[in-house]
Parts: sequence; structure tokens; C-alpha cells
Amino acid sequence: MADILVLQDTNLNSINLDKEKYNVFLLNDTVKPCVGCFGCWIKTPGKCVIKDKYSDFATILPHVREVIIVSELVFGGLSPNVKAIFDRSIGFILPFFRDVDGEMHHQQRYKDRPVFKYMFYGSKISLSEKNTAKKLIKANAINLGTDKYSINFYNSAFDALEELK
Amino acid sequence: MKIMLLNGSPKSNNSASEIIINGLCQRLGTTNEYFLLNAMKTNKAEFIEKTNGINAIVIVFPLYVDGIPSHLLRLLYDVKNEIGCTNNQLIIYAIVNNGFYEGTQNSIALEMIQNFCVSANLKWGQGLGVGAGGMSSAAPIGQGPMKNLGLALDKISANIKNSATDDNFFIEPNFPKFLYKISAHFGWRRQAKNNGIKHRDIYSKR
Repeated sequence: MADILVLQDTNLNSINLDKEKYNVFLLNDTVKPCVGCFGCWIKTPGKCVIKDKYSDFATILPHVREVIIVSELVFGGLSPNVKAIFDRSIGFILPFFRDVDGEMHHQQRYKDRPVFKYMFYGSKISLSEKNTAKKLIKANAINLGTDKYSINFYNSAFDALEELK
Repeated sequence: MKIMLLNGSPKSNNSASEIIINGLCQRLGTTNEYFLLNAMKTNKAEFIEKTNGINAIVIVFPLYVDGIPSHLLRLLYDVKNEIGCTNNQLIIYAIVNNGFYEGTQNSIALEMIQNFCVSANLKWGQGLGVGAGGMSSAAPIGQGPMKNLGLALDKISANIKNSATDDNFFIEPNFPKFLYKISAHFGWRRQAKNNGIKHRDIYSKR
């Protein structure tokens, strides 16, 4: 299986990513939202209890080298369908807390973590949204226990996906 | 004043957001008309219809992965191009609670709601970040460990009633951080045990 995971919220027929290289998750409105049950911590530790094709996402993360997120930038963060996957992936970390520079954060379930590469797109991205996104991804990285991440902005999904070809 | 209180927790009941909304209702008093809406059970058309003729929306939600829960984000995304056309006098307030001790960790989610306001051409009122939201049921709001929450809701409800704008602010419970951490860990172990999960299995790798 390809060890680079691609999460994308837009399907462009004109761009087909290499299946040998990328394991592509196309995220559409069928992604069910997290229901806040914490089952991924206290019922089936490490795995989302909602039964659909995305329930295994948190269990895939420790076994891939890189996760590439191609998302519309929405209010300075991930788009709703991509966010749904992230909300349902907290099983990747533990419910227990640790201190990081005086702030409370989560302990890690796994020793191995992928590199997270964020490719945000939008035709009218504001400076404020960019700044929010940078803070968000830094905060996410702390909770995911990694400093291996990158964040870039594009005018369109096409521009972002074109770079992956 | 007519106010919408939008509950952004996906839980059907007993959420920290619900407790905070109840505390807010008490402070808004009987001279203001307010109604509750649950983001999980509301679609775009219903939401837009309910914004007709109202003065303010207070969005109360839990912090999910440093941001807005996806179902609430979906709703805001869906209405952003229309809500400002229906009612551009609306003022938006937000109260975010998180499981970490520090209320300041809600600041990014508040920024996102502010970005939503810019995108939807709505006025931003004020944001409140509540740390240790899971403790909200530990005592009546305004008492003991929930004293700060009571004071914070006094402050933001006064601003809502006056249609005022103010700086975002953040609170922690009146309870030591190290005890909160110990209590939270105990709580997770107990909940797992109630589901037949042994302590060591909480750490399972897949």
C-alpha cells in the first residue's frame, strides 16, 4: 500500500494522482461527523466507533510516512468534510494529559507519526485566515506530538493537486 | 432583544455547552426573548429562517481538534453567503469550552468564528474561552470551582443585552490544575472500565 495518504475535499477529473504513490481519500458529504461519544478512547481504544469507511483513519495514521491534506481554507481552518475526519481521529492520541511548555495537551498513543503537509486553497484567502491557519496547524502539531509539518496556500484545488502530480 | 442560542455540541444532552447555555439563559433574564437551536439538528434553510428579525446569535460549542466541530462548521459554511443578506444587523457572540485546563486554547476557534463573521458580513461581538469545560457540572455556575464561569457569563451576558462589542477573554476553573489532571485521568479510566476496557487496553496500538 502507498505510504503517502492524501485527504482531498475536491475531485478533479483532470487530475489523477498516481495510485502507486498515493492512497487517496476523497472526502465528501458522506463523512459522518463526530458525535462526541469518546468511544475511540473508552470503548474501542484507537478506533472511531462510527461504522463507515472512515472509521479506520486513526489506525492508518501511524503506519504511513506522510499525510497530505488538500482542503479549502474555511474561516482559517479545514473544510467541513476534512474536519469531520480529523474530529473522528482523536483515537490517534490518548485521552490522558501531558504538559507542553506549561500548557495541557494530550499524551501520544504511538511512537511513530507521519509528516503532515497542509495544502490550503481558496480564491479569496485573507491575511487573517492565513494567520489563523498557521496557528491552527501549529496547535494541531503539538497535540499530534510532531514538529514535522508544512503549510502552503494555493489559489485553487487544481493548483494544489497539480503540484502532487 | 431577540437572541438565538446555538448549541454546537453534537451530544444530545448533558454537554458542557448545554450547561453554559442554561447559565446564560438565567443571566439574560425575562426581558429578553431567546430561543435555543441545536446545530446537529438544524439545516441551512431552518437556520436562515430563524435568523429573521433577531438581534444576536450566541454560538456555544466544544473545542474539537483546536477548532470548530465539523457539523457546526458545515452549518456556518452553508449559511455564510446568505445570512448577511437576510439580516446584516446581527451581532455574533461565541463561547467555546475545551477539555484542557487553559481557556486560552480556545482562541483559535474564536478567531475562526470571527473569520466567519467577516466572510458573512456580520458584526462580531465578543468571544469567551472556557477552560476545563468538562467540570461545568461539578458545581452550580457561580459557585465553588465554577465561580469564574459565573463571573464570565455575567460579563458576556451584559454585553449581549447591550449589543456591545468587547475583547475576547478566557477563564480557568477555580480549581488547581494538577487536581483537574488527576481527576480527568481517573474519569477516563473509570469510563473505560465501565465499558469493559482494562486500564492497559486504553493504550492499545492498532
